[in-house]
Amino acid sequence: MTETRLRDAMPTAIGTPPDAVAPILQVQNLHTHFFTGEGIVHAVDGASFAVHPGKTLGIVGESGCGKSVAAKSILQIVDKPGRIVDGEILYTYTDKSGRYRHENILSLPSDSRQMKSIRGGEISMIFQEPMSSFSPIHSVGNQLTETIRLHTDMDQRTAREAAIEWLSRVGIPNPARRVEEYPYQMSGGQCQRAMIAMALSTNPRILIADEPTTALDVTTQAQILNLLQRLQAEQGMAMIFITHDLGVIAEVADEVAVMYLGRVVERAPVQEIFRNPQHPYTRALLTSIPSIEAQPRQRLPTISGSIPHPQNRPPGCPFHPRCPEYMAGTCEQKEPQLASVGTNHEVSCFLYPGC
Amino acid sequence: MQENVVLQVNNLKKYFPVESGFLKRQVGEVRAVDDVSFAIAQGETVSLVGESGCGKTTTSRCVIRAIQPTGGEILYRTEAGKVVDLAKLSMNEIRPLRRGFQMVFQDPFSSLNPRMTIFDIVSEPLRVNNIGSRAEREDRVAELLKLVGLRGEYMQRFPHAFSGGQRQRIGIARALAASPRLIVADEPVSALDVSVQAQVLNLMMDLQDELGLTYLFVSHDLSVVNQISNRVIVMYVGRVAEIGPPQALFKDPKHPYTAALITSLPKPDPFNRSDRQIPEGEVANPANPPSGCYFHPRCPFAIDRCRQETPALEEIAPGRAVSCHRARELQLFEQVEG
Ligand SMILES: Nc1ncnc2c1ncn2[C@@H]1O[C@H](COP(=O)(O)OP(=O)(O)OP(=O)(O)O)[C@@H](O)[C@H]1O
Ligand SMILES: Nc1ncnc2c1ncn2[C@@H]1O[C@H](COP(=O)(O)OP(=O)(O)O)[C@@H](O)[C@H]1O
Ligand code: SF4
Ligand SMILES: [Mg+2]
Ligand SMILES: [Mg+2]
Repeated sequence: MTETRLRDAMPTAIGTPPDAVAPILQVQNLHTHFFTGEGIVHAVDGASFAVHPGKTLGIVGESGCGKSVAAKSILQIVDKPGRIVDGEILYTYTDKSGRYRHENILSLPSDSRQMKSIRGGEISMIFQEPMSSFSPIHSVGNQLTETIRLHTDMDQRTAREAAIEWLSRVGIPNPARRVEEYPYQMSGGQCQRAMIAMALSTNPRILIADEPTTALDVTTQAQILNLLQRLQAEQGMAMIFITHDLGVIAEVADEVAVMYLGRVVERAPVQEIFRNPQHPYTRALLTSIPSIEAQPRQRLPTISGSIPHPQNRPPGCPFHPRCPEYMAGTCEQKEPQLASVGTNHEVSCFLYPGC
Repeated sequence: MQENVVLQVNNLKKYFPVESGFLKRQVGEVRAVDDVSFAIAQGETVSLVGESGCGKTTTSRCVIRAIQPTGGEILYRTEAGKVVDLAKLSMNEIRPLRRGFQMVFQDPFSSLNPRMTIFDIVSEPLRVNNIGSRAEREDRVAELLKLVGLRGEYMQRFPHAFSGGQRQRIGIARALAASPRLIVADEPVSALDVSVQAQVLNLMMDLQDELGLTYLFVSHDLSVVNQISNRVIVMYVGRVAEIGPPQALFKDPKHPYTAALITSLPKPDPFNRSDRQIPEGEVANPANPPSGCYFHPRCPFAIDRCRQETPALEEIAPGRAVSCHRARELQLFEQVEG
């Protein structure tokens, strides 16, 4: 199965074939704003990141920095009164006729057939609250069967067997019996397993996981992380893993995008982010996490102040009011851009030339 | 009770009835807290840690007598030095003692009344206890706000104007208003962002040193608990699995559940991605717990005795107690010499 998936990701007909490291999804300068009664919320304000085939991009940042809105923008499922106002989302794929395509999927109308087949088919998503992603009035099995039928040509009986097979793959005991259960009858961990089954049952090429373990206990979280990593290896899919937890990032990500107030402020391979962080925000974040190995009763280094509401976005570099490296006359005047500071390592901060 | 002890909990139990059907007949009980004992000395921070539903909140709500325990003792030393059993006192008898123990809550968004000003919120414990005139209360609130790192001018504002971290500071100021000796904090930093979490933890430690406060700190986060505690109590399904100082406990756990919690924790170190042995299965249901040791269905070291006999909490070294039949023979983590 792994092999066919990997081959699927390659171009089979016309178009310029991408090289092995070309991203399958590239988000560029994305702006998604909410037009509320009290003003415009710049939830995502110039975010750029890329996802590579078979790899995991970790998106990390504190609450409200725009992680979920960025993810929903990819699928064009941003809640009202939000709107994608600028940017490109380049997706590389092979269409039904085997044609290789490289397309800005933001230009597809949200209700177009193509976008519908991408959403929940080629790119699927799991959420923090699995319970609320299921309908409470249908059994988990029926919802899973429906999803499979929608994206394949299986008949009812085969789809139901596939549903049971999936529940078993995600580690739900007695799947033939549990398939009848309703979401409220499952524990949080099992509901998340069922959600993963639903998201993967259409063999997506990209899985977006938005804080899939944040609501779970640590032992359950460890089980779900292992499960996701095993399934990713089996399916050969790419993953966008969103979390605020740097420990989880260190366990699952190949590449990391650090977000602050609607923008990606640093992106690099995961080891580089931990060994050689360059943005003052990334550095501060890494030193302020409490550790189980630290000497107890010691004060932690902190970042001063708190995250401003995106409605009151500071001018210039959005981090400047909290930044220990703040340079008056520069940081509040212009907006820094992402620029290369090393191999596959980009930062947006005026400490570095080119930003 | 030892002289320096502020709170001593003995064999605390809280069972909630499980009711069913139209007549609300009792069909069983949830053993939310089942025989929990610990003591906290003056100026010390003792933490309760464990996964959701293990009884941390229920224990802390019993301690401040927000709920009536089913059994056990809650011995509390009053400011005057008298020892009383909060579990046995009536609400009328507890009221005058209340200013001595205060609570800080998890959710800084719902724990502050949106229609009250910061002055009204922070001065509430003073008003309830009839302490000071209006002018004196204003001075006290200004002083408290300064203590928790907020500006005095904020007094006339409403909670919505503050961030999560600021609201948690306001919650702490309120808890400190009537000069309590014991603060019970239930997940006080769990809803905060990491950059703000560190600020609030530092603040709590500073206030403790400055005011000689005693903390019962509740959290599901082992790293946070390691940061703030003198001693840690690991709970599993309403019972104490293990007690000890944080570093001893986390470097050399003696209970297989403590070890399981630690190995499950994601490590912020991408250079050493662990092939970790994580526990299977899910937390037992406290309404229908397994026989013997509650952890036995998930425990890789379980023997027949574990299925039959409930292990008692036993002291295995000074300051360390474990409830596991095999605590003395098992070496769960490799120990580095030196
Ligand atoms: N429906 C909406 N209407 C108005 N503002 C919104 C809406 N949804 C999100 N926002 C705002 O957009 C910003 C980004 O929100 P988003 O949910 O993407 O954050 P996040 O990074 O996922 O945070 P968290 O870690 O809390 O999940 C926030 O300031 C949020 O308040
Ligand atoms: N008021 C209540 N009625 C019935 N059961 C309760 C009540 N409060 C808590 N419980 C149950 O008691 C157990 C312990 O809960 P709690 O103390 O809130 O755990 P924790 O704070 O460790 O997550 C859980 O099984 C919970 O469902
Ligand atoms: S008593 Fe037995 S089952 Fe319980 S933790 Fe110890 S070894 Fe495991
Ligand atoms: Mg989110
Ligand atoms: Mg709780």
